[in-house]
This record gives sequence, C-alpha cells and structure tokens, in this order.
Amino acid sequence: MEMRVKTNKLTMVQAVTDGLRTMLQKKEEVVLLGEDIGSNGGVFRATEGLMEEFGEERVMDTPLSEAGLMGTAIGMAINGMIPVAEIQFLGFIYPAYEQIATHATRIRMRTMGKYTVPMVIRAPYGAGIRAPEIHSDSAEALFTHMPGMKVVCPSTPYDAKGLLIASIEDPDPVLFLEPLRLYRAGKEEVPEGEYRVEIGKAARRREGSDVTLIAWGAMAAQASKAAEKLEQTGVSCEVIDLRTLYPLDKETIAESVQKTGRAVIVQEAHATGGLANDVMGVINDTSFLYLRAPITRVSGFDVPVPFFSLEEHYLPDTERIIQAVEKVIHY
Amino acid sequence: MLEVKLHDIGEGMTEGDILHYFVKHGERVERDQPLIEVQTDKMTAELPSPGAGVVKEILIEPGTTVSVGTTLLVIETDEGGAVPIKESTPKTRPASARVLATPFTRKLARENRIDIEQLKGTGPAGRVTDEDVLGLAAKQEQPEPVKEAPAAEEKPAAVPVTKGQKKTIPFKGRRKQIAKRMVHSLKTIPHVTHFEEVDMTELMTFRNELKEAGRSISAAAFFIKAAAMALKDFPVFNAKLDEEREVIVLESEYNIGLAVDSPDGLIVPVLHQVETKSILEIHKEMKELNEKARENRLSRSELTGGTFTISNVGPLGSIGATPVINHPETGLMAFHATKEKPVVRNGEIVIGLMMNVSMSFDHRVADGAAAVAFTNRFKELIEHPKLLIVELV
Repeated sequence: MEMRVKTNKLTMVQAVTDGLRTMLQKKEEVVLLGEDIGSNGGVFRATEGLMEEFGEERVMDTPLSEAGLMGTAIGMAINGMIPVAEIQFLGFIYPAYEQIATHATRIRMRTMGKYTVPMVIRAPYGAGIRAPEIHSDSAEALFTHMPGMKVVCPSTPYDAKGLLIASIEDPDPVLFLEPLRLYRAGKEEVPEGEYRVEIGKAARRREGSDVTLIAWGAMAAQASKAAEKLEQTGVSCEVIDLRTLYPLDKETIAESVQKTGRAVIVQEAHATGGLANDVMGVINDTSFLYLRAPITRVSGFDVPVPFFSLEEHYLPDTERIIQAVEKVIHY
Repeated sequence: MLEVKLHDIGEGMTEGDILHYFVKHGERVERDQPLIEVQTDKMTAELPSPGAGVVKEILIEPGTTVSVGTTLLVIETDEGGAVPIKESTPKTRPASARVLATPFTRKLARENRIDIEQLKGTGPAGRVTDEDVLGLAAKQEQPEPVKEAPAAEEKPAAVPVTKGQKKTIPFKGRRKQIAKRMVHSLKTIPHVTHFEEVDMTELMTFRNELKEAGRSISAAAFFIKAAAMALKDFPVFNAKLDEEREVIVLESEYNIGLAVDSPDGLIVPVLHQVETKSILEIHKEMKELNEKARENRLSRSELTGGTFTISNVGPLGSIGATPVINHPETGLMAFHATKEKPVVRNGEIVIGLMMNVSMSFDHRVADGAAAVAFTNRFKELIEHPKLLIVELV
C-alpha cells in the first residue's frame, strides 16, 4: 500500500516552528519558554505565531536571565511538564551552564532514576552569519562531555523537525543545537504532522569509497560540497552527518572508516578539546587496523570566533577540506 | 671489525636456518670465501665473506633459525676498521627502529604472514606500502618447487626422552614449505579425482623384450611419454588457470613434474620438453633427476616450469589415492602398484597385469568427461605400447 504523506517546503527554522507546533498540539505538557519568544517570536522567529496560537501559559516570555530560565525549566520538567527552553545563542548559555551541569544532567542519577528531566534546550549556534562576539560560539563539546544529557544537531530541515519531536519525547534533557548558518540556507520537503528522526543515529549523506568525511551542523553541508568537488577529481568521499553528538553513532563511524580506510573530521569549533577528538577516539578504538592514513581534522582555530571580517578565515571552507582530503589520499 | 649478517639472499626471505659454518673461530678468511651455509624455505645458500680477516666470533649456533639482519659472525678485518659491506647486503636497521607503515599495511602484512619489519619500503620516506606487501605475498605464493641442499652436518641432537615426555620434530624448512603449498592447493583448487584401471600386460612384455636386447627402460618413462601425448590431445590438462586475467593458459611445452620422495620430503623435479625427447632419453633424464633430488643437487631450472605432474607411487605399493595438484597446474596423475589380477578377456578369466591410476584435476578448468577421455587416451597408449611407438614423431 502506498502511503502518501503531505509535505511542505520549509527552511530549517520553519521546520523547527513546525515541530514545536506539532508537539504543542499533541501534548499539553509541552511548554515553550525563553527571552522574547512570545509576542516577538524569538530572535530568529522560530516561535513566531505560537504564542497567539497556544496562549501565554504555554509560550512564555522570560526575563533576561539564562540561569533563571534554565532553573525554571528544570523545575517544570521534574514536575511533569515538558519545557522547551530557547537560549538566544549558544554563546549565551554560559550563565545557565551551572544549572545544566549540576542539576539538569544529574537529577536522574541523583534520584536513582525516580525523576527524569524531560526538557529540551534549543540553542542556535555557530558562525557564518556575521554576528557579534559570543553569538557565534560553537561550544558543543562543553555539553558532550557531560553524561546525562543528549546533544543533537540537525543539518537539514527534515532532520530538524524529526529530531526536535524525538527530543521533546525523550525522557532526558536534550540540547538541541540549531546551526544559524543553515536556518534559511535552503528549503526541503518536510512532512506535515508527527515523525521522528532517531536520536543516536548518524546519516550517510553520500556514499564513497576513498575517504570518510565526518561532520555535523553547518559543516555537514560544507563537507558535502567538498565531496562534490572532489568527485570531479576522481576522489570518492563518503559523508557522514553525525546528527547526534552525544551519544555518538560509533557503529556508523566505524563501518564507514573501515570501508574507506581514511577519515577527515570537519568541525567548526576550536581544535583543542573539540568533538572531533572524540570521533578520532572512536575511530582509533574501532578501526585502527583499517587506517591507511592518519585521521585528520579540519576545524576552527584555537581563538574565539573572530569578528565578521575574519570569520570566513576562521571557518573550515571547502578548500581546506579538499586540502585535508588530498593529504590523506596521497599520504 | 666486520659483522656478517644474514641478508635476504633472494625472494624476500625473512628468516633462515643456519646449517653449517665453513670456518672456525680464529681461522683466517679471504674475501668472498664461503662462510656459512644457510637454508631458507626454498633453497640452501652459502654466504660469502664480505672481507678478509680472522674469524673473531661465531654468534649463532648451527641449527638455529634466525631472521634477516641477525649478526652471525664477526671478522676482525685486515684493515682494522669497518669494511664496507657489499652492495648486495641490505643495510640492517637498528633494533629499535621500526619500518614505516600504516596500520592497514601492517594488518595486510600480518594477514599474508609477512614480517613487515624486514621489508624495504618504496613509499614516501621509505614507507612500506600495500603494494610492497602484496608484491612479496604474490612472490611467496609462486608455486616454485622446493630446492634444498644436503641436511646440515650437525643435525639437531635428539632430545633425550624421559617417560611421559612428548618428542617434537621441528616444523620448518621443506616440511613447512610442503605444508604451505598443500594447503594453498587444496584451498584454491576444487579437486576431483578420477580412477582408472590400466592393463600393463603388453607394456611389461615389451619392456622385457627391450631388456633382453640390453635396454632396460623403466615403466615410468613410458608413462611420461604417454602422458605428454595424451596432454597434446587434451591440452586443458597442460594448462594454468589465470584467475586475474580470467583465462586458461594452455602451455606450449610439456614439462612433466615428477613427484619424488626424498629423505627430507616430497620434491618435484621437472622433465622439460618431454615432447621432444625419446622414451630412452626420458628414462635417462628421469634417473638423473631422481638421483639429484635424493641428493639435493637439483638446480633451480630443474625445479621450475612444470606444466603437469605425475606421481609414481606404484613401487611403494598402493592401489589408489586422491593426489593433491601441484598448484597452479590443472592435473596430476598417480600410478599405483602393478598387480596380477583375474581379468575377463574374450569371455575368459585370465591373469592380467593391472595397474590403477588416479587422476586429480581442477574442476574449475575441466570437467569429469574430459578427465575420463584424457585418462582413456593415456590408457590406450600404455595398453598398446606399439601404438605409442607408432604415434611418436
């Protein structure tokens, strides 16, 4: 039997709104809270129209206090609600870090599983839109280092909605990272209503045999672009979009690297202490004997994301990815 | 001082057994004078002295298996200082240094049972590449019959066996090589063996007549000639399957390998271009090869280039076998004991001189029907030796 699903062409930010709307409709416990998310619709208009549709009791503007916002969300979550808290930019999350690190991620363990914290923290992140300082931070590694919380990061509108719904339904806190650069980068057919993209599963964006490119968020798109160019020179790249940064999909990573024997990890974050290092660890643990060249990283540099005039130099571009691929191919 | 090390004497060997020293401690040696006899999987070789001087030290006991690069003896040279080692001697690396190779290449080497540390890399910065490993692996796979020199003068002393203790036999040298090749043949070739009974009465009579005329020719010489003639009619059994190129290569010469049982194990000398030789010549050459095989005097050319192999086990007594093909050949025929047996001839039971043959063939290359036809042709030529003679060019 053929199933026909009605779809709409949406940008990633529209897909996020659609996902929020879907879950607000489905579950009364779902509430949204954040700075200017109500009547203003959020800094990126991700919650536009939702307050009018679902009322102030379900879509709440909060004071400009990230720690307070996070504490409130945690309180709501352990009391039976499903809060989706928006942090305007991931770089603004630092004041809330204490609430996340010491409470959100630990309550389940602290109460021996009696309480879970079913909340989602939505946070636009990353560079490439010429935002001021701190707005462009790519600080995902601060959270993947923290057991007790899942970290997801879509790179397509379809995944954004599917992963958001899965995150809202997840019993544990989920940090939902939305790559700023991809918010309005393109449209994709996104199904109406409910569907889920499983947390913990990476996506193989492109099949290839010579080298595996591993990326997430805005860099997944960048890696695909590089792969397309490399294809023209006869280099076949497999592109893995991690989608979930914690827990990592070790199987997909290993399977791909064992096939190609080479890996290039692309991350926009600083090199030191970044998630790419964990991916290298996975490859080392699972696929060491298959390696034909050292695992290579393409990343931002160990400096704060610079102001917009230098932003392009900071971010890994297709040229840098291609150079890294050529290095491992000709090792 | 000059250190004499075991170097790769060819074919990418990784280790060898020290058989014998031609020199003693304190003895004077000249440049190029043989110093040591070394046995590898495939051959026995003498290591010449790289310089003149006096043997200062002998470091390795005969009978020991050592890897390439090991210092065997030290010569105090006339010059006093170090003497440049001959170019043919590869430079050995310091013990602590490892060759450069990626984990994948190392894995490849392990899978192919190659000691990667002994390889000379052709990649960037001397790195050992996949091709280096695969190249050597392919070489090692080459089906070259084993050649060995006489066993060491000093055989490893028998270990005194006390009650309850198990005795061991070293699994190396030719035995190991035979094992490797048998496994390879059985693993790669789908073997099928076809049996036939051959009436030897006429051939034996013919041989006796020749004997009386002063020409004693062994039955095996007739077998070899008949086999070569039958192979001409069924060239698929005088062939090699080239899987890579996906072709069956029909050989132009009829080089018959003779499985010989020697004190050190099976060895297969090759009688070249049988098609150009008379039965008498075959007989003479075969005798020589057998002798050389038993004395380990076979040259390299006498051990290579076979296109079909025969195994004459009859003299040892046997009625049947499932012979293992000498990879990459297509067939191998074994001849068993000739016995007097009751046979029915013209409706009467008479005594026949019968011999069984077992013909193993590669079922990828040929089918049962062809094997039967080939064996029948062989049988025809042996049962009617006059036919064999008539058909000779």
